Amino acid sequence: MNKPRVSRDEIFAPEFFACSPPRTHRQPLDKRVYSAPPPVIFRLSMTRIVLSFAAVCALRFAFAAETDSAPTKLPNAGAAIRKSLIRIAVTEQEANYKVPWTPGNINSGVGAGFVIDGQRVLTNAHVVSNARFLGLEKENDPKKYVATVEHIAHDCDLAVLKVADPDFFKNTAPLNFGGIPQIESQVSVYGYPIGGDRMSVTTGIVSRIDFQAYTHSLVDQHLAIQIDAAINPGNSGGPVMQEGKVVGVAFQGYGGEVAQNVGYMIPTPVIGRFLKDISDGVYDKYMDLSVSTFNLQNPAMRRALGLADDDRGVMVSSVASAGCSAGKLKVGDVLLGIDEHPIASDAFVDLEGERVQMAEVVERKFKGDDVKLHVLRDKQEIDVTVKLDAAWPFSMQANEYDVAPRYVLFGGLLFQPVSRSFLENYQLEDLRVRYFFDFFIADEIYREHPEIIILSAVLPDPINTYLGEFKNGILDEINGDKIKTLDDVANALRKPADEYVIRLIGVGRPLVLERAAVEAARERIKMRYNVLKEQNLRDTVNVE
Amino acid sequence: MRNATLLVCAWLSAAACFAAPPAKAVKEQHISIVRVNATNQAWDFFHPWSKHAPVSRRALGAVLAGDHVLVTAELVANANYLELEKAESGERMPAHVEVVDYEANLALLKPDSADFLRDMKPLEVKDAAVGDRVAVWQLEATGALLITDALLTTVEVTRYPIDDTALLTYRLTSSLQYREGSFTVPVVKNGSLVGLLMRYDTRTQNVDVIPAPVIDHFLHDAASKHYGGFPRAGVLFAPMRDPQLRRHAGLGPETSGGVFLTQVQKGSAAEQAGMRVGDVLLAIGDKAIDQDGNYLDKLYGKISLVHLIASKNDGEKVSFKILRDHAPQTLPVTLIHRVAEDYVIEPYTIDRPPKYYVIGGLVLQELSRQYLKEWGEYLKKAPERFVYYDRYQTEIFKDARKKLVVLSQVLPSASTVGYEELNYLVVTKINDVPLTRVDDVARAVANSVNGFHKIEFEENPRVIYLDAKQTAEDEKLLMRNYGLPAISRLGALSAE
Repeated sequence: MNKPRVSRDEIFAPEFFACSPPRTHRQPLDKRVYSAPPPVIFRLSMTRIVLSFAAVCALRFAFAAETDSAPTKLPNAGAAIRKSLIRIAVTEQEANYKVPWTPGNINSGVGAGFVIDGQRVLTNAHVVSNARFLGLEKENDPKKYVATVEHIAHDCDLAVLKVADPDFFKNTAPLNFGGIPQIESQVSVYGYPIGGDRMSVTTGIVSRIDFQAYTHSLVDQHLAIQIDAAINPGNSGGPVMQEGKVVGVAFQGYGGEVAQNVGYMIPTPVIGRFLKDISDGVYDKYMDLSVSTFNLQNPAMRRALGLADDDRGVMVSSVASAGCSAGKLKVGDVLLGIDEHPIASDAFVDLEGERVQMAEVVERKFKGDDVKLHVLRDKQEIDVTVKLDAAWPFSMQANEYDVAPRYVLFGGLLFQPVSRSFLENYQLEDLRVRYFFDFFIADEIYREHPEIIILSAVLPDPINTYLGEFKNGILDEINGDKIKTLDDVANALRKPADEYVIRLIGVGRPLVLERAAVEAARERIKMRYNVLKEQNLRDTVNVE
Repeated sequence: MRNATLLVCAWLSAAACFAAPPAKAVKEQHISIVRVNATNQAWDFFHPWSKHAPVSRRALGAVLAGDHVLVTAELVANANYLELEKAESGERMPAHVEVVDYEANLALLKPDSADFLRDMKPLEVKDAAVGDRVAVWQLEATGALLITDALLTTVEVTRYPIDDTALLTYRLTSSLQYREGSFTVPVVKNGSLVGLLMRYDTRTQNVDVIPAPVIDHFLHDAASKHYGGFPRAGVLFAPMRDPQLRRHAGLGPETSGGVFLTQVQKGSAAEQAGMRVGDVLLAIGDKAIDQDGNYLDKLYGKISLVHLIASKNDGEKVSFKILRDHAPQTLPVTLIHRVAEDYVIEPYTIDRPPKYYVIGGLVLQELSRQYLKEWGEYLKKAPERFVYYDRYQTEIFKDARKKLVVLSQVLPSASTVGYEELNYLVVTKINDVPLTRVDDVARAVANSVNGFHKIEFEENPRVIYLDAKQTAEDEKLLMRNYGLPAISRLGALSAE
């Protein structure tokens, strides 16, 4: 399905991703296709000296905010909101991929959240990502409460917090959810923009309802609602209200230099799906058919495939071998219907009276659910049922949070798996690494390399003084053992041998390290570079 | 008279001139350089039926024996019109390119009327050495000679403008003044030509010069019946300084030289001679190769083995001494020059129009670096897959005779409804005919299947169809609406 995953060209924006140059393909025909950069997310970072992504955005927004006029009218809902709105002070620790044995820099920020039923607090995932400590404050209570993350969904930017102290929920009123608000109807946004201690409210109207890239993970697209109320850092996670009900969670927007008065909220279908998904105690993520499709709008193409002139059907143009449709769907299949819904030739379906992308049908389902597809294969109509599961290779291209960087250090050589966060940390431009990353799914690089392991750094020492030129090479084998994962590296280097011959992809010359030399240098390198731990193979972070 | 003084400088050695310029009137005929006016018009690879706007440049050329003028190849690349102009009299004469080598960045021009240069004294080509003081010749607007002193600091192998060519270069230090028309500037010592200026960095004041040995090789080749060009072995190598690597390869502590072969190109001289990745190259002919890939040259001292190979002639035999599986071997290698057309993705396409075929409205072309260069900073801006294919082509494509046919863009037409967004896709087959060059498209579309043209791509959307009849009908409309002079431009009937 033309999965709501965003291709590279639409999403990379120079302003926000210095490390990933925009590859805006010049259009030979002067087709001016405007593709907006991803919106920025709205937690206010208080750590101004750390020029992290979040901090830059915060500054950008701080300036933008000064020119926004104050809201003129406080809706009546204000009183009820006071019993529910939560100010979340976050202390987070960001993984440092360049010095992966260090625990990472500590930053702090402020976001919003609100009480929902079941004595829980709902907020954005990006407000509490990488959190080490969460301090919650209520509007009418001087006390600060300690919270922990119960569930976090990075793919739809939502999280649920729990608070141990039962007093916290005294005098609070959980907010109820409404539906999708009408275009042009008025909504109010509550939160703590620019970090203030007191609740702030802005109002605006619903401008557009559409699929939108969720910047937090960068690879996911879901339904989102665009509003023109002023949304600023610190609004993140706050409720957007209409007629006393929550119609969305404020989460991202644009700085003034990209677009004016464009803010986004997560609508209730997405929130509802998240809450249902976690109701069994585990968040299973969004599911994906893991196929791509091609619209069948060309008359000759329709006739060649044996289709009537009825504007129905899309052609399957790739099936990811790691996805749940592998073996069920084939390239060249025409998808005519999904569950009970006919699929139009532009990949839209009618859902509850609305024309929406067919992906929305899958969006609403959960792990293990069936999707019934009506398929034209070799001019025969057949039914195919796919049991939904997530395709693991996709996560490699998403931003990573709440993980400890994995690595192996051997003879001063640092081996790490490639991920988006890793590439951003290193600002890596190497063409081969970029290709392996960007075409990981399209060219099924993952079949040979479930993990792309690269020699990311050389800590200079006499034993590796000639090895600097191997930096950024992708590992192929060690002493004849194929390297597919970081564990393979650790295992191969654990095997006793006089010398370790490491081969890198596309590099004709082997990298040779003699065991005796490595052993002799081991303590010296650890001391000199303050290496706290020589390898980390598991990415779990334990926060109590 | 100032002009006269400067002319003397040209006549005498530059060094002498700076010491004590003798004020002696000298006749015009002593100037051995002419102005060269070139109008170039490159093909537009985004619109392969069109050319870019013409660009005119003024440059200098060195007059050589045989009524020839030597300039850089860059000057005459895609030239529509060339003209020689005498510096003082302003007399002009159309000229043409007799021999050009874009890799060596040299071209030999001849005036349309042979006696045009008869009153000029041709320059001889002579070698220079590190430490020599040389003179960079430019022309003032008046036609007077402007001479700048320069010191030859380094002789080394550097990259030439055609990306993957590396040849001998003189590096000078000089603070050059900018003069209009200072392109292809001659560098002179004692009245002899030692090189042509290739690039000048105003910040570091480094001047890179195409040196006399490269010019001599070019002229020697140009005078022969067959222009062979500068040969290559077709290998990439890595230094072997690391003692751990040396022990691994079986080189004992008593040895010091040798380089590790990291790539042996398909169809190259080295491959034909049986060389393999992993061989350690110890010597070429009687020259020992050190651990960095240098040999001891009697003129230049330590210099890259690339020069040792390039200084030979196309077809010349040389013996390569290698170490394989810890045992020495000697392999006879017949050096060859590999032409641009032999690459899957051609490194340059100059003076040749790009081939294309428009079917329906789908524009099909061969992927070439010249096409990628239309993006400007193509490493960052061109489609990443294409950049990757170009960079690693020897590794990825085993059949060097094949070209990649790509759908570069769609000219929307009735045939291409719903295909408007397709671009930058490698086309693998049309009507089940595998494509190895764009010329194959003509053959493939002659046999439509059930009234359709089936077009297959390497990636999404994998396959599309066109109505064969409609496609034929659309041809005239496409040509009219988009102003195409022809629906296709293919090469001469393929070589086989």
